[in-house]
Amino acid sequence: MEQTEVVKPETLDELIAVLHKIFESDTINVEEVQNIMESYESKPHEWTKYAKFDQYRYTRNLVDEGNGKFNLMILCWGEGHGSSIHDHTDSHCFLKLLQGQLKETLFDWPDRKSHGDMVQKSQRILQENKVAYINDSIGLHRVENVSHTECAVSLHLYSPPFETCQTFDQRTGHKNTVKMTFWSKHGERTPYVSNLSESDLK
Amino acid sequence: MESQEGAAAAVATRDCVLDFSRLSLNTFNVNNVSEDRRRDTRQLFLNYNRLSSLPSSVSLFCNLEFLDISNNGLTAICEGITRLTKLKTLLAKNNRLDEFSLPKEFGSLQLEVLNFSGNRFQEIPLQCTKLLRLQSLSIGGNRLKSIPAEIEYLTSLEMLYLGGNLISDIPPELAHLPYLTYLVLCDNRIQSVPPQLARLHSLRSLSLHNNLLTYLPREILSLVHMQELSLRGNPLVVRFVKEMIYDPPSLLELAGRTIKSRNIPYSPYDMPSNLVRYLDLASKCPNPKCAGVYFDSCVRQIKFVDFCGKYRLPLMHYLCSPECTSPCSSNPQSDAESEEENSVPADRLQRVLLG
Repeated sequence: MEQTEVVKPETLDELIAVLHKIFESDTINVEEVQNIMESYESKPHEWTKYAKFDQYRYTRNLVDEGNGKFNLMILCWGEGHGSSIHDHTDSHCFLKLLQGQLKETLFDWPDRKSHGDMVQKSQRILQENKVAYINDSIGLHRVENVSHTECAVSLHLYSPPFETCQTFDQRTGHKNTVKMTFWSKHGERTPYVSNLSESDLK
Repeated sequence: MESQEGAAAAVATRDCVLDFSRLSLNTFNVNNVSEDRRRDTRQLFLNYNRLSSLPSSVSLFCNLEFLDISNNGLTAICEGITRLTKLKTLLAKNNRLDEFSLPKEFGSLQLEVLNFSGNRFQEIPLQCTKLLRLQSLSIGGNRLKSIPAEIEYLTSLEMLYLGGNLISDIPPELAHLPYLTYLVLCDNRIQSVPPQLARLHSLRSLSLHNNLLTYLPREILSLVHMQELSLRGNPLVVRFVKEMIYDPPSLLELAGRTIKSRNIPYSPYDMPSNLVRYLDLASKCPNPKCAGVYFDSCVRQIKFVDFCGKYRLPLMHYLCSPECTSPCSSNPQSDAESEEENSVPADRLQRVLLG
């Protein structure tokens, strides 16, 4: 796997351009992507237009569709907002903190026999500008803004893009497939007319 | 880093916004702002400074609608603030305020949004319960031990954020807030949810994660508009618990039951207000064959309900007497198993964030 020339992206647009280049290849170097994303220093005025918050729950705001190779999106977490425990449908997931902090709790996949509590493997607080990585072989995670006073904003890259994932009930390990939706795309609010049996939990 | 007075001249203003945030100000000198500018200013940002007090002369910003004094070292809110008659939003997060910090007439403000998160409140001050126009109240991340019954005076309240405190009980009076849509009680010490909360018909989102709940009241199923419910981090019972506790009803309860079940009219002119409130809090027995009501004396049973075929929630059923049976069991012997709750349509609570 070759590495692209290391250039520090100064702006969000530059980061997106570098990512497009890196993802032209069919294989990706996880460390390379992590380093590139981490080297972009978050500048709020560059992403404010994507950062649309909802009072009740976190939002997913599409930034770029990566020529079909990846989805880049910004998630906005109000105070106390958190996700379910979820998987990543065989895709790479990179998560960068643009503002505030997020708690990531890792879980093992529940095995078919055990019908009890899912036990957490580890927990960490992700700081501003840091990048975390996960995929299904590493495990499952829950992401939460545990602050009661500050919002959080995170930049997510998923490759290849996916529209559904599984969510897990921590008490029983029971899982559910859910469809994921966007609160906005490219800075424009995109209301979703929901089917009663669907829910957006990521 | 610029010091106090010099910063005033350098600060950029646009429209009616005065932004003095992040200037390491130790004091705020209102006189550095011209009278014209003071009159025109609608939004004043003083957040992220080093203010230990706010001068009462802030009242000279007579048309102020929005004031952000978050992230300072404030130990008190000055009396002058109560003269800001047009103030609608006050943000005072991350300071050192407590229930003794508010001026006496604070309740006279016309506030719609109030945020005291990240302070040292051990109680919600009574002045706050007088803010009749309040739509949004945040006192997250404080040291609140309880919620006062007077919260019911905030009849315009739509959003109540009390996550991250030391609250052990939810007063049933919370159910008297007709417009409450978002209620956050996560990260507290709550052991039970009063069934009266089922009266919060506008409730869309209820956050109860990281508390001490072992079950929920069955009545929670009647919250038709609820879309988000978080329950993770509670010791919810997973195994069936057969618990039949029945304290014989008090005279007060028996009198109340008679009045309600015979539809005897009553009004605040007939009796003290505490008794009117008591009668209003009657709960209907879920047994369809029983037209009775109960107040405090009831039989408690935990039953598991399969929720929309996805999750098993332990719900507490309250029945008015041991002779009554819960509507979902045709055979009382089948209590031991979880049952499909026939009366819960699949479209209820479709987004249960239990996971």
